[in-house]
This record gives sequence, structure tokens and C-alpha cells, in this order.
Amino acid sequence: MAPTAVSNKLKATHRKQFQELQEAGEKGERERTMTLHRLFPLRLRQTIAQVRLLHGSGCGHQLEEVAMEPELRKETSVFRTQVNDPACQSERHLGQYYTLPTSHLHTIFPHGLPARYQQQVKTFNEGCVMVRQPALELISYLKAADYSKPAVRYLLYGLKGSGKTMSLCHTIHYCSTQGWLVLHIPDAHLWVKNCKELLPSSYHTSRFDQPIEASNWLRNFRTTNERFLSKIKLRQRYTWTKRESTEKGSPLGELVDMGVSRVKSSSDVVGAVLKELRLQAAETEESEGFRLAVAIDGVNSLWGRTTIKKEDKSPVAPEELTLIHNLRKMIDNNWCGGAVIATLSQTGSLYSPSSAYLPKELLGEEGFDSMDPFIPVPVSNYSEKEFESCYLYYLDRHWLQHPHSKTDEGKKEIIFLSNRNPSVLERLCAFL
Amino acid sequence: MAQNACILSHRQNLHGDLHIPESLCWGLQSTTFSKMAASITGLLKPWTPRLFLVRWSRYNPYYLEPEPRKELYNMPETELTTEQKEERELKAVRPIKATTNSTTSSVFNDPVLSKFVNMMMRDGEKILARGILTQTLESLKRKQVEKYHKAPQGKKAEIECNPYAIFHQALENCMPVIGLASIQKGGKFYQVPVPLTDNRRRFLAMKWMITECRDNKNRRTLMYEKLSQELLAAYSKEGNVIKRKHELHKMAESNRAYAHYRWW
Repeated sequence: MAPTAVSNKLKATHRKQFQELQEAGEKGERERTMTLHRLFPLRLRQTIAQVRLLHGSGCGHQLEEVAMEPELRKETSVFRTQVNDPACQSERHLGQYYTLPTSHLHTIFPHGLPARYQQQVKTFNEGCVMVRQPALELISYLKAADYSKPAVRYLLYGLKGSGKTMSLCHTIHYCSTQGWLVLHIPDAHLWVKNCKELLPSSYHTSRFDQPIEASNWLRNFRTTNERFLSKIKLRQRYTWTKRESTEKGSPLGELVDMGVSRVKSSSDVVGAVLKELRLQAAETEESEGFRLAVAIDGVNSLWGRTTIKKEDKSPVAPEELTLIHNLRKMIDNNWCGGAVIATLSQTGSLYSPSSAYLPKELLGEEGFDSMDPFIPVPVSNYSEKEFESCYLYYLDRHWLQHPHSKTDEGKKEIIFLSNRNPSVLERLCAFL
Repeated sequence: MAQNACILSHRQNLHGDLHIPESLCWGLQSTTFSKMAASITGLLKPWTPRLFLVRWSRYNPYYLEPEPRKELYNMPETELTTEQKEERELKAVRPIKATTNSTTSSVFNDPVLSKFVNMMMRDGEKILARGILTQTLESLKRKQVEKYHKAPQGKKAEIECNPYAIFHQALENCMPVIGLASIQKGGKFYQVPVPLTDNRRRFLAMKWMITECRDNKNRRTLMYEKLSQELLAAYSKEGNVIKRKHELHKMAESNRAYAHYRWW
């Protein structure tokens, strides 16, 4: 009886102040904590936390927990947030790290994360991603878009090592948790260089197939989108050889399995899969529909040059490769019910200067005309707050071990050496 | 005489302010009165800076060593001892040698690590050697931090995650206490146990570590992987380098009868 009476009293008397707090909460975390400090002594704040726990559910619950927790822990964990769902993250979580659940890591990102980040996940025994402004902006655009209209193209660009791929992965996590079908090409540069086997395409005489890359990608696609494989049915009959064909109405999973096992025709299977998804994403979402997210890292390789050579040593143009040809069709905005999120990348690109990072320079004339119109999203180096957050995270994970790196002098030196560039900072702190 | 005068002026032009009394150092090799005169006049001349300041391996003894550490310059007047005050006054009048390219005033500068990098370097490729060292430190840290995060709460305090601490401790564990010198007595050469200076001990430890990692590794393992394995083994007093140190100690112990052949 007593606890409920107490809680009822609190509900009655503190409701106004609760509303005040909620308004203050929109302004930002710092102001929020200041208001809390101003309005309540510590004990009352703790009781309010309990009251909110009684009220809360879902998103709102998590948000309130966030407001209470950093302050209760006396600013020791300001760099972390417990809101692990990208849909619920907002500006107040900027600069904070959220944890990727291990199950999601294995299913959504079998091939998407950068190599150094995968090493970091293995070392720290957890995968934490920083909530940054470009990713939040992209997610807000995805939330606000109209999916009965043609697909919108988003392009992440920025300096080398500024966090384009990680922002893309953050957005993919959002799309996956919202139940979209994610078509993630982790690095399109790998499809235009170092090709061990190049087969002439059976479907079209002047094109070339890349069986190894295609079958690898299909395998990872199968891991990512297990639940859609049985739901989506094919609209067309596909004949592979005189004896083999996939019938109309059979599930997509059968097609993908065929592509993985029959490596020779895997590039054509990829083309078929892309075509089916493009046609079926346009449907409304009553029972059968789904939203399609095409995520391509290193999109500038689709219109550049390749280092692959034919047998007579003449270079292969990108359009002569089946995979690239089909991917270009996906990027055209003539289909509805999804979005295309792309990243520019100079790092793996061929025949482009290392100082180039802007869309016009990296995409070239042809690429820019194909991508036009698109929404550019710039990704910059860490701001001061983000740097602080990263520094505290490394300290928390026992990654900064040099005794001088924990002093002010050392910190100033780290800022000077890395210029707050995320990848340079990561490589610097690796040996400090 | 005229010829000697030519040599005199030529010498002065070549060495100028950096003229070292070579004749004095090299004993009675080719001492002539003119050369002695040249060296003394070289010293008496006032020092003027050269056009291009270059660090030679041989400097005039009155050149002082450079001090790269920042904290010594930030100390206020009161904290200085008399020696340090004298040093500061001396620095105002005397010229200072140029530093090598690898000295930094960074807080992360470590002379032992710089020495190790120089010993690993081949054909003057310092960038490659430094890169290997940073990769070694990173891989050491990764292994230890992974172990740390997977260990239960009670065992966490025992795991050393600092790669610098591991490196220094491993090197110390590899340093021999006593060495052998080849001394000739009565026509034969004997291996005589001899005390080693600190520099020599450090040099031997580093040399053994590097040769061990270069020779006894699989063709496919990279240098930084093998180095990190050996350093971790040396930290826990196992591994081939520690074995080599123990063998040296055993040899010295077995040759103790010849210890009297040492005269210093």
C-alpha cells in the first residue's frame, strides 16, 4: 500500500515538472540534466526514475533511461547510450556509442564492415558504433520519404577515413531493424579489379562473367535476408541450360541456392535476383510488399576503368561486366518502393588521384549524369565532442595503454597528429 | 713551405670552424708543426655558423648535446639545482650539436624503442622498421586486451595490457648478467667470463631478439607476428631468447676457472 501511495503522490505533484522536463528534454541533454539538477535533489531524481519506469514503454522508456543514467553515473559513461535501436536515436545521442547486438553482427553484416573495425570488434568483445550526424540525417530522410515515388539516391562523400562506410553500416542497421530487404555490396571496387576467372557470358556474347565474386556475394546475401527468401516468389521462368531452369512462382531462395551451387551461372543469377527485387519492391505493403535498400560502397567504380584484361590484353570496360551492368540498372531511379544509398571511396578506386573526394571528381562525367539527381550527404572528421567520446571509449576499453596518452599533453598531441580524422586516430591509438 | 701553406689554407677552408685536432687524436701518424699550428688556430678562431648545419659523427668536444624533452624547459627557476643552472648558462654560450632525425620532443618518445628500431633497420629503411615496431606493439596489445576482456573478473588484474611495459620487461628478462670475452694467453684464446656494461647488455638482448625472429620463423609468418610471440614468451621467461641467455650464463659458469685472465 505504502509504495503505491507514495508513487501516486509523486505522480500528482510532480506531473507538471515532469512535463517541464520533457520540454526541456527537446533542447538537448546538457540542458536537460541542468534542469533536473535545478528542480530536484538527487534522491527525488532517483524516485522519478522509478516512476518513469512504471510509465514508460518502448522508445520513450529508453529515452528517459538515457536522461537519467549518465547523470546518475556521474558522467563516467557519457560516451555510451543504451538506445540500441537506430530508429529511436535522435540528436541528443550525437557522439554516443550504441552497441550492435551480436546476432545482428553475424546476420546483417557478414561482409559489410571495414576490416579494421572487424578486428576491433574481436578485440573489444563487442561492436559499438558512434551515432553521428550524417547517419542520423540519412535515417531521418529515409523515415520521411514517400515510397510510392521513384527511389531516391543518397550519396555519402567525404575525406579519406572520415567515416563514410561506418555511416552506411549504421543506416543499413536501421533498414534491417525496420524489416527492409537490404542489398549490400560491401566494396564495388573488388568487382573491377583482381579478377582471377573471367568467363564470357552465356546470356550476352559481348559481356563477361565473374563467377567467384558473384557466388560469394550470393552467399552473403542469403545470410542477410533469410526471412525474405521463402516469401518472395519469382515472376518469370529462368532457363539456365537445356536441362535446368527455375520455374515461375518458385521462391527466391531456390534461385539463390542455385546460384551458389552452380558457380558458372552465378553472375546471371545475380542479375535475375536484382531484376525480381526491383519489380516486386514497387508493390504496396499490404501482405507481400517490402522495401528495398540498395547499399553500395565505392559506387565510383561502376563508371571508372577496370584493371581486368581480356585474353588479347585489351582492357575490359565496366559495362562489359555482367555484375556492373546489372548494378547500374539498380541505381537508375525507374523503380519504386525503396532507396539507393551509396558511398564514394577513393581508397580502392583505380586511376583516381588520392586527393580526390568530391562527387564530381570521383564519379566522372558519366557517373555524375547517371546518379543525378541525388542527395549528397557530407561526412566530416570528428567534432570536438565526438573526439572526446571516442577518447573516453578507448580509455574504457583499455585500448589507450601508454601512460602519457592518458595525460592532457598526450591528448593534445593525439589531436594534433590525427587532426581528429577517425581512421588516423584509430591507427594512432592502436600502438599507443 | 709554400706547399705547407697551401695545405694549411686548404685544411682551414675544408673544416673551418669544425677543425678537429686530428693529429692529436691519431698519435704520431703525420704530425708536423704546421698541422699543429693549424689546429690551434682553428680553435682560437671565433665560432660562426655554417651555411648548412649538418650533424657529423665527429664534433668538436665543446659542442653540447641537445635536450629534446619539453618538461625540462617548463621548470621554473626555483626547482633547478645548481648543476642544472650551470648547464643553462653554458647553453647560452656554447654551440649545440644537431639532433638526429629520429629524436622528437613528443611525450611518446622512447630512446630504448628508437634504438631497437635502428637495430632492426636494413638499408636505411627506417619507415619500414618503425612500421614493423608499431605493428608489433599493436598486435601485443590486441592479444592482451582480447584476453583481458574475455577473462573472469578475478583474473583481470593479472593480465598486463600495456605493450610498452611488456616490451621493456621482456628485454630486461633477456639481458645477460655476465658475458664472455676472448682473451689471448700463452698463444691460446680463452673464453673468459667478464662483467658487461649496461649498454652492452641491452645491445645483446636486442640483437638476440632480432636475429631469433629473423632466422627461426616460418616463411609465411610476418616479422611483427613472430616478434610479438617472442616478446610475450620473454615476458613470461620462456622462449628461445631466454634459452640463449641461459646458455651464455652456463658457459660463463663453466669457464670460471679462467676468470683470473681478466686484468680489468
